[in-house]
Amino acid sequence: MRKILAIILTLAMFGAVLAGCKKEPETITLKVWGSQEDQAMLQEMIDAFKTAHTDANYVITLGVVSEADAKTKVLEDPAAAADVFQFANDQIVDLVNAGALYEVTRNKADIIAANMEGSIEASTVNDKLYAYPSTADNGYFMYYDKSVFSAEDVKSLDTMLTVADAAGKKVFMDVSNGWYIASFFLGAGGKLTVGEDGKQVCDFNNANGVKAGEAIKAFTAHNAFLAGDDAVLTGGIGTTIAAGVSGTWNAEAISEKLGENYAATKLPEFNMGGTQAQMSSFAGFKLVGVSSQTQAPVAAMELAEWLTNEENQIKRFETRQMGPANINAANSEEVKANVALAALAEQNQHAVSQKEVLGGYWVPAEAFGTAMEAKDYSKTIQEMLDEMVAQIQG
Amino acid sequence: MKTKRRKFSFSNLAIYIILSAMSVVWIMPILWLIMTSFRGEPGAWTPYIFPKEYTVANYTRLFTETGLFNYPRWFINTLIVAVFTCVISTILVLMTSYTLSRLRFRGRKGIMNIGLILGMFPGFMSMIAIYFILKAMGLSQSLTALVLVYSGAAGLGYFIAKGFFDTIPRVLDEAAIVDGANQNTIFWRIILPLSKPIVVYTVLMSFIAPWVDFIFVSVIMKDNYNNYTIALGLYQMITRENIYRYFTQFCAGAVLIAIPITILFIYMQKYYVEGVTGGAVKG
Repeated sequence: MRKILAIILTLAMFGAVLAGCKKEPETITLKVWGSQEDQAMLQEMIDAFKTAHTDANYVITLGVVSEADAKTKVLEDPAAAADVFQFANDQIVDLVNAGALYEVTRNKADIIAANMEGSIEASTVNDKLYAYPSTADNGYFMYYDKSVFSAEDVKSLDTMLTVADAAGKKVFMDVSNGWYIASFFLGAGGKLTVGEDGKQVCDFNNANGVKAGEAIKAFTAHNAFLAGDDAVLTGGIGTTIAAGVSGTWNAEAISEKLGENYAATKLPEFNMGGTQAQMSSFAGFKLVGVSSQTQAPVAAMELAEWLTNEENQIKRFETRQMGPANINAANSEEVKANVALAALAEQNQHAVSQKEVLGGYWVPAEAFGTAMEAKDYSKTIQEMLDEMVAQIQG
Repeated sequence: MKTKRRKFSFSNLAIYIILSAMSVVWIMPILWLIMTSFRGEPGAWTPYIFPKEYTVANYTRLFTETGLFNYPRWFINTLIVAVFTCVISTILVLMTSYTLSRLRFRGRKGIMNIGLILGMFPGFMSMIAIYFILKAMGLSQSLTALVLVYSGAAGLGYFIAKGFFDTIPRVLDEAAIVDGANQNTIFWRIILPLSKPIVVYTVLMSFIAPWVDFIFVSVIMKDNYNNYTIALGLYQMITRENIYRYFTQFCAGAVLIAIPITILFIYMQKYYVEGVTGGAVKG
C-alpha cells in the first residue's frame, strides 16, 4: 500500500515539476478594492505590477469600496468580494472570525521585518499574519494655531484651556465619540481587552478611570471647550478655534486655514487627580488583505505585497499624504518633514492598538461623552462609568 | 364694530406671525442648501451663514471634473432607472387597483389584506435575499436590477388608486359591456381617461423613488462605480476624506437632483392636488 502511495506521490511531484516547466502564460484575473480617492494611484501601481510580472497574463480590475466599508461589503457576499482589498485594521478580527481573509504565507518574514511593529501586531490574529500593512496614519493627534499657543503651552491641557480662554478662543475635541474619548481613559492606564469567552473586558470604571472621567468633566465644563464633528473643526479653526484633535485626513484643510500658524503635535497631558498624565490614543492602520475565496491566492498575495511594498508606500505618501507603515519609508526626510505625520508619529508612541476593541464599545462610550458635553451631572462619574462599563461588557 | 375689527386683526396678526415663523423654519434649510451650493469657500461648516464669496464653480466642476466623481454619469443612470421604474410601476399599480376595484373573484378580500400587510414592511428588509436572487439571475450590479427592485413591489401600493377607481360609477362599465367592451377595453378606454389625477400621482411617486433611495443601490451595486445612482454617488463626496473639499459640490449636486423632479411636478401639478384628495373625498 505504502509503495503504491509513494509511486503516486512521485508521479504527482513529477507532474507538478512538468507543469511548472510549462512556459505558456496563463491568464490570471484579479479584482482590487480601494477607496474612490485611491483609484488613480492604485491603477498606476497595478500597471507597474503588470510590467514587472510578465510570467502570466494579468487582468486586474479595480472596484470602489472604501477601507471603512470593506468589512461590510466583504461579509455581505464573500464570493463577490475582491481578491485583494484595503481595509481599516479594526475590522481584522471580525474578518478573520468570518473566515474571509487568507493567511499570509509568502515572504512573511520579509513583511514583518519591513513594517513597524505596531502595524504587524495590528495585522496579526492568533499569532497568524492575515494582512499587509499599507499605511500607519489612521490615528489622531492635535492641530494648533501657533499664533495662540507656544510650543510649551501645548504640553498641558490645562494651560491650553487657560491660554485659549484668555484669547477668547476654543479648544476643540469630539468628546461624544468613543474613538476620541478613549484617549483619556487609556492615558489613565485603562485597558480594553478581549476576555477568554470572547467578550469585551473594560476597566474604565476603576479608580484611575474615575480620575479620567473627572478630567473629561472638567474639560467639557471649561469655557474654552468646544465639541462638534470634523466639519466644525475645519470650519472654525483659525477664527474661533485655536486647537483641535483630529487626524491626517484634515491636514490639508487645516493647513490651508491656518497658513503660517499651522502646527501639530501629540496630544497634551491632562490633570489626573493632581498628577499629569499623557493622553493616549488609538493607533490605526490601513491594511491590504487577500480574500479567502480568491481563485489565484499566489498571484493575489504577490499583488497585495506589491501594493504595500516600500516603493508603493512612498508613492501613497507622495500622492495622498498617507503615512507609511514601512520602516524605511517612514524614516525618509520627506515623511518626517510632514507636520501632521510627524505629530502622529509622536502620538503613536503613546498609542494603543485598536484590535481588541469590539463593536460593543462605541455606543456606550459615545453616550458617556454626550452626557459630558450636555453637562448632565445628575449622576456621579463613578455611577456613569459603572453603567458604561456594564454596557460595554454586556 | 371697531373693537371687533381690532380683535379680528389681532388674531390675524398672531396667525401671520406663527405662519411666518413656520415658513422660515421650513424654507431655511432649502435656502441654506442653495446658498451653500454657490459658496466659494470649501468646508462643510462655516461660522457665518451668508457665504463670503459666491461662485458657480461648484456646478461646473460637477460636470467637468469627472475623474473622481462622475456626476453626469450617475445623473443619467438615475434618470434611466427612474423613467423605466416609473413606466413599469405605474402600469402595475393601476392594473392591480383596477382588478381589485372592478373584478369580483374568490379571495379578493384576502389578497387585498395580505397586500396591505406586506406593504407595511419596508422593502429593504429583504435586501440581502433580493441581492442573492438577482445574483443567481446574473443581474447583480446592473441598472436592470434596480428597475426590477424599485418597480417589483409596486402592486402593493394599490390602495389609493383603488380608492379612486371605486368612486367611478360602475354604470359606466356596464354601459360599455352592453356596447361589447371587454375588461381590457374598459380599463384603457373608459377608466384611465377618467383617472388622470391618480395616474399622475402614481407617476410622480414612482419617479421619485430611485432619486432618493440609498440602501438598495449600495447593496446591489457594491463596487460597480459606473452604475451608481445619484444618492450613492453623492454620498461618496461626504466621506471623512472628501467632505472638506467636496461639500459645496455635494450641495450643488443635491440641488440639481431637484430639477427633473420639479419639472415633472410643475407639469403635472394641477392634476396632482386632485389626485391625492380625489380618492379620499369621493370614496
